[in-house]
Amino acid sequence: MSLVTLQESPPPGERYRAAFDARWPASNALVELRRAALQRFVAAGFPTQRQEDWKYTNLRRLETRTFAPAASTAVALGTHEQHWIANAGIRIVLVNGHWMPALSSIGAQLPGMTLLTLKQWCEHDPQAAAAFIAETARSQPNALEDLNRAFFEDGVVLDVAAGASPDQPIYIVHQWSEGATQLMSNPRLIVRAAANSRCTVIEHYVGSGAGECFTNAVSEIQVAAGARVEHYRIQQEAPRAFHIGHVNVRVQRDGQYASHDIALGASLSRLNLGTILQGPGAHVALHGLLAPLANQHLDSHTTIDHAAAHTSSDENYRGIAGERGRGVFNGKVIVRPDAQKTDARQSSRNLLLAAGAEIDTKPELEIYANDVKCSHGATTGQLDAAALFYLRSRGLDETAARALLIRAFAESVVSTIGPQALRCHLEKVLDQRYGMFS
Amino acid sequence: MSMLKIENLQVRAGDKQVLNGLSLEVGAGEVHAIMGPNGSGKSTLVQVLAGREGYEVTAGSVSYQGRDLLALPPEERARAGVFLAFQYPVEIPGVNNVYLLKAGLNAVRKHRGLPELDAFDFLTLVREKMKLMQMDESFLNRAVNEGFSGGEKKRNEILQMAVLEPALALLDETDSGLDIDALRVVANGVNSLRRQDRAIVMVTHYQRLLEYIEPDRVHVLSGGRILKSGDKSLALELEKRGYDWVKQEAAAA
Repeated sequence: MSLVTLQESPPPGERYRAAFDARWPASNALVELRRAALQRFVAAGFPTQRQEDWKYTNLRRLETRTFAPAASTAVALGTHEQHWIANAGIRIVLVNGHWMPALSSIGAQLPGMTLLTLKQWCEHDPQAAAAFIAETARSQPNALEDLNRAFFEDGVVLDVAAGASPDQPIYIVHQWSEGATQLMSNPRLIVRAAANSRCTVIEHYVGSGAGECFTNAVSEIQVAAGARVEHYRIQQEAPRAFHIGHVNVRVQRDGQYASHDIALGASLSRLNLGTILQGPGAHVALHGLLAPLANQHLDSHTTIDHAAAHTSSDENYRGIAGERGRGVFNGKVIVRPDAQKTDARQSSRNLLLAAGAEIDTKPELEIYANDVKCSHGATTGQLDAAALFYLRSRGLDETAARALLIRAFAESVVSTIGPQALRCHLEKVLDQRYGMFS
Repeated sequence: MSMLKIENLQVRAGDKQVLNGLSLEVGAGEVHAIMGPNGSGKSTLVQVLAGREGYEVTAGSVSYQGRDLLALPPEERARAGVFLAFQYPVEIPGVNNVYLLKAGLNAVRKHRGLPELDAFDFLTLVREKMKLMQMDESFLNRAVNEGFSGGEKKRNEILQMAVLEPALALLDETDSGLDIDALRVVANGVNSLRRQDRAIVMVTHYQRLLEYIEPDRVHVLSGGRILKSGDKSLALELEKRGYDWVKQEAAAA
């Protein structure tokens, strides 16, 4: 055996095989699904920049590290509580990807909905769970989703009954245990909003530890006819964290889905947000804010697939890049041949706060129908010097004036945030981030 | 007492010498009008006084209430009582008009050693000033100058002046783009702000404004220097005869 072969490391995906075998030694239908997913992940490997969808985002740093599947662990209330948004809704806390009942505010089941942990669902109804997972694997082949499919432990399964409209948001917090490092979490969220129901779901990924952890989260959201789902995704992971998110949404006739994608944390973050409008009258609104600072790399790739006639979408992403931060926005809009009378609007506006900052923004329109209205616009600029001077000439110091203009720039996204507790939280975070009160 | 004393001010903008040894003294309680042809340096003068970047002061000095004005950043000038009513007020989408008024007023009050006004007192004050400017209260919750008509923007400038109560107000073509009714409202607003401890410097093209706001002194600015000064009758003469005779007179001197 030559020295060269000895030094050669196995393909990055291979390293997850041993962890898999240790975690799921026995076999059943679900484990076989997991194993198949692992095989696909190992075969495909981590995406590379040669793939068009990953052109601007390099996963080399993620790929070279080995993350162990995180186990459930004892937790202390104090270390976790400080990161929660107070009064945001019915709180469900996952630590290292495992539901922590002691930290959650939910007691008895609430009227109009069924709320389970993914673990409970897999135990109580393994067939249904396996069928659901298998179905998602068929329709969405994707290496990192397969990694989640192989290793997912827990998550939230929310079913909202037809016509029901729970009066509080479901607030799901994802945190790491104290001192966690080199750990991987693969949580899943499943939301099934039955006909004419309404619900608000908040996913909050948050941390402040010094460890290097990897979140690889999947959300499956099904919006039935006439239903409305408001989905918030607030990404505030710790500075050295890796965060990959996958959100897959299907919207039926007259259903409405709104996403609020707020990316503030992690060292490297990527969201794949895919929506399919499957029935006439379906509407999707995607609001996003990417605010990289320091050396952060924050990427949102969205897809809006108009698969039925008379569907509409409205997309507004704002990027604010400071220091050496890098933002990436890719907005794909597909209008299928039968999707006549589609109305799709997209806007991407970006602000560069420093010479070392960068934002790459790209609209990607694939239009196969002829009677449609599609518009898109992208701009990138700096803070308006005239506006800065105007504010300073009224007595605001430079830092406050800059912070105010940055807030104003983010306002068209911040103003779409319905729950007051959430909006206040974000306003406070942005003010601190840009030194309004420093 | 001298409010503003400018001596031999020389200013460049890029390659261009815009002010060429300008001297001007304005006392407390006085209203001065600066008139002059296009490109004579009128707007540059007030922008430099307010602290706009992009100009290079190559010589001269500006003393404001005995302090070196040019050494201060724009916000400190504002807090110390210098106010510029912009010729083109800037539209700032996403920033509330009322928020800016409050932030500005609190910055000024803090500088004067006064406590911040509470919400009630602040709104009472603003409402009173809005009445003076004949502005609807809906302006408070609109974004700063966004979608305002030309007249509304100018009124909003004078509203800010009324709220901030500066010691030295610089009005940059506050009359431009105003119809006669709006001009009257703006002029009434300015006149109501005339005080013994406040100086006002107005830059204007037209004598018309001076019918409403009567100046103590009128200066002709041309080629970056004050060529001639006089009382309000000078403005009438300029209206009749234009600027050329002033230039010729200065050249002959």
